[in-house]
Amino acid sequence: MNLIEQQLWDYIDGILTDAEKKDVESQIASDKDIRKQYEDLLLINSTLNGLDMDAPSMSFTRNVMERIELEPAPVVLKTKVDTRIIYGITSFFVLSIFAIVSYVISTTNLTMPNFSLNFSLNFNIENYITPTALYLFIGFDLIMALIFIDYFLRRKLNTKE
Amino acid sequence: MKQELTDLELINDILTGNTGQYALLVKRHQRFVFTLALRFAKNREDAEEIAQDCFVKAYKALGSFKQTAKFSTWLYTITYTTAMTFLRKKRLDTSSISDEETFLQLENHTSGFNANVYEQQNSHAFLNDAIKLLLPDDAAIITMFYKGEQSLEEIAEVLNMEANTIKVKLYRARQRLKEKLQFLLKDEVKELL
Repeated sequence: MNLIEQQLWDYIDGILTDAEKKDVESQIASDKDIRKQYEDLLLINSTLNGLDMDAPSMSFTRNVMERIELEPAPVVLKTKVDTRIIYGITSFFVLSIFAIVSYVISTTNLTMPNFSLNFSLNFNIENYITPTALYLFIGFDLIMALIFIDYFLRRKLNTKE
Repeated sequence: MKQELTDLELINDILTGNTGQYALLVKRHQRFVFTLALRFAKNREDAEEIAQDCFVKAYKALGSFKQTAKFSTWLYTITYTTAMTFLRKKRLDTSSISDEETFLQLENHTSGFNANVYEQQNSHAFLNDAIKLLLPDDAAIITMFYKGEQSLEEIAEVLNMEANTIKVKLYRARQRLKEKLQFLLKDEVKELL
């Protein structure tokens, strides 16, 4: 694939970034051959833009309407649910869970009872499950949730675009 | 002056029972759908049959149309699959045609080339003839890009391919078109372009 020709087509189609656009523009301005090539492509492009479309027979619409006359009228397959209702329900449950967890954490004495298990490993779990560790764990979960929400919203926005 | 209803407004009207509005949708898109069908079928009768089937299928499936996308993109997807099914039925596996075979086809096609007839036609007729010599996929991509107001991403959705693949195909299609125009018109191509 001829790189400069591809770049010229991308330039004509308007799909280059600003930096790439400036680069192509400077090449067109400085190189006579590239300028000639660009002018040729521009002419092809304008010819293609003026392409004629074929027309079907005069009775085309009538024929289609006659064929669909016997068909059952189309209906929306699933009931449209207002997304705000879904988000409302989701928010309610998320807030409820958050409130319960917050209440439990604030009213719990975060100390571990002594285990009577006789592990031979020299590992004291009390040293690890501390209020700080729990807050870190919850903090991490919150960050993960925010990343997920961000990803979800971006994806949704991209789909709409 | 009465403002023209958008595709989505018409669809909502049809879905609420005003099915007669479908005629407006057909009228609005029939030329493009027919042209696209003609890129695959190569003769008007078959193209008309494909285009009609496409509108009937679209009508039946209108309830499942997701209104977040463009109606035209959805309709062209139906046109493409309908045309493919039609061609399969006719046992014309156009996608397997190699470049070499296309060249042979081109040679055969141009053997009856009458320069005088072409001289009388305008540049658009030349272009349409050159498009007819392209592979169906290439011709469809060119048509959708230039006349269907479809982006590379939307064409990719219609043809079920990656947008980058479409970009490469579009580049090659333009190259082939340029070559075919040069072949058809020899020296006249410079004047035409």
